[in-house]
Amino acid sequence: MAGVAWQGAKGDSAAMIHGRRPQLSPIALLGDATLRFVGDTGAMFLFLAEASVRIFSSLGQFPKMVRQVYFIGVKSISVITLIGLFTGMVIGLQMHYALAKFGAEGFLGAAVALSLVRELGPVLTAIMITGRAGSSMTAEIGVMRISEQVDALRVMDINPIGYLVSPKLAASIICFPILTAFFDLVGMAGGYLTGVLLLGGNEGVYFYRIQAYMKMSDVSGGFIKSLVFAVVVCTVSCFMGFYTHTRRDAVGPEAVSQATTAGVVTSCILILLADYILTSLLF
Amino acid sequence: MTRDKTPDIRLEGLTVGYGKTAVVSGIDAVLPGGKISVILGGSGCGKSTLLKHILMLHSPLAGRIMIGRHDLNKLDRRGKHCLRQRMGVLFQDGALLGSLSLGDNVALPLREHTRLDEKTIHERVLDKLALVGLEDFHDYYPNELSGGMRKRAGLARGMVMDPPLLFCDEPTSGLDPVTAAELDQLLLELKKSFDMTMVVVSHDLDSMRAIADHVVVLGDGRVLFNGLRDELEATTDDYLRRFLDRQAAARTSPRLTMPALDFKVMKRDCSKYLGEG
Repeated sequence: MAGVAWQGAKGDSAAMIHGRRPQLSPIALLGDATLRFVGDTGAMFLFLAEASVRIFSSLGQFPKMVRQVYFIGVKSISVITLIGLFTGMVIGLQMHYALAKFGAEGFLGAAVALSLVRELGPVLTAIMITGRAGSSMTAEIGVMRISEQVDALRVMDINPIGYLVSPKLAASIICFPILTAFFDLVGMAGGYLTGVLLLGGNEGVYFYRIQAYMKMSDVSGGFIKSLVFAVVVCTVSCFMGFYTHTRRDAVGPEAVSQATTAGVVTSCILILLADYILTSLLF
Repeated sequence: MTRDKTPDIRLEGLTVGYGKTAVVSGIDAVLPGGKISVILGGSGCGKSTLLKHILMLHSPLAGRIMIGRHDLNKLDRRGKHCLRQRMGVLFQDGALLGSLSLGDNVALPLREHTRLDEKTIHERVLDKLALVGLEDFHDYYPNELSGGMRKRAGLARGMVMDPPLLFCDEPTSGLDPVTAAELDQLLLELKKSFDMTMVVVSHDLDSMRAIADHVVVLGDGRVLFNGLRDELEATTDDYLRRFLDRQAAARTSPRLTMPALDFKVMKRDCSKYLGEG
């Protein structure tokens, strides 16, 4: 998982971890990578557990959470609107041509809505927020780590995970479902633009099919996915930033950039992995 | 206001380092309460590492650190919390939180650890900022300040809980001589006014001579000197004398063995701009 050394999570310095690594045989390298993967996964779950518990540690968390809701949620609306609109328009266009081959253009509304609500809405929203806010979380915490700001919090007896990560986690859990719902709505409007206004489909049939074929389980499934993605993106992004100093592949500002890349890539992979598992379980 | 008694810091058989690698071994020293102790040494000798262990950011590899009668290794979570709240720390670059204004940075420990109302917090913050001459910069952000101002703001934040213990990591590094002297003066005034135990990590000899009561010199992975400043000044130890007199180590081989680089080997011909053409 992006090569974050577990021993670093226990407080070792970058200087030690970035020391020249001994030459290892392929089997030893595989073992080393496996141990690191298991260690990182465990550390990430512990990190998530501590961040979750500390959401409720004090009333002082509330203003920080509101600021993060603004940053993660409000500031993402424009990008979500654009991506949602164009995604809906493309689906409307493609579906219209596909359905027309079977004389089933009337089902366009249901096809657009179901693909957005069940699948594309949660996934694309999560990936967009990863790129916009997740990378920023990693970079912010990473810079704080290498400039001793995290150490400063610790010596002031302020838990850095509670101070830096918990408000972001709470804000992500609030914002992801709302932004996903917003993405779905804008996407359906995009499908309407191409399927109805541009290609001349029937307006009433478009909306009727959405209402007729969309079940509550579709909506709740998408909602559950967005909640899981919120936890995944925030945990991975913050974890990568928090342990920037323990990276084996770089130090200083380069470590921040590597951590940011690793955060985005790992988040996207885990989003798609979690999406497959959740789709198997939920629908 | 009740103030804590200023405690001694005792380092007993202490070995500090990272992972399994020791950086400094066998440290036995007492940093006396109510005095300024300077931990001195060359770059990379382990001064900041030792400080980070005293600040409980890392655990020692061997030995123990006693603050007053408390062994830091044996302190429970509550004890560590309480002790940390009684420590002020000035980091090398101030380590101010970049997303908070100067006022909010200084107010942070008060907001997190006290039940004071916002008005009282604001008054105390202004008081501490005035102490370091930054009362007019309350609303500025750290990136809008010079390095010296950031250090002074870091000191105000370290002082805001009125701690009996103050730790400073390289307080004068990177500062011009006048600003460095002002910061030294400020530390002396703080010690005098608040009867604090101060530990200053430095390699600045002028600063050490200005503020130190007690000096610990690190080098070669061990303690080279531990005693009063006057005793250090009178030392006859060869390495310490060279360190104090700022003498370079004698070299057995010539420093330069290669001829100066010829302009002709440069990828871009700049000779005409340097009067060679």
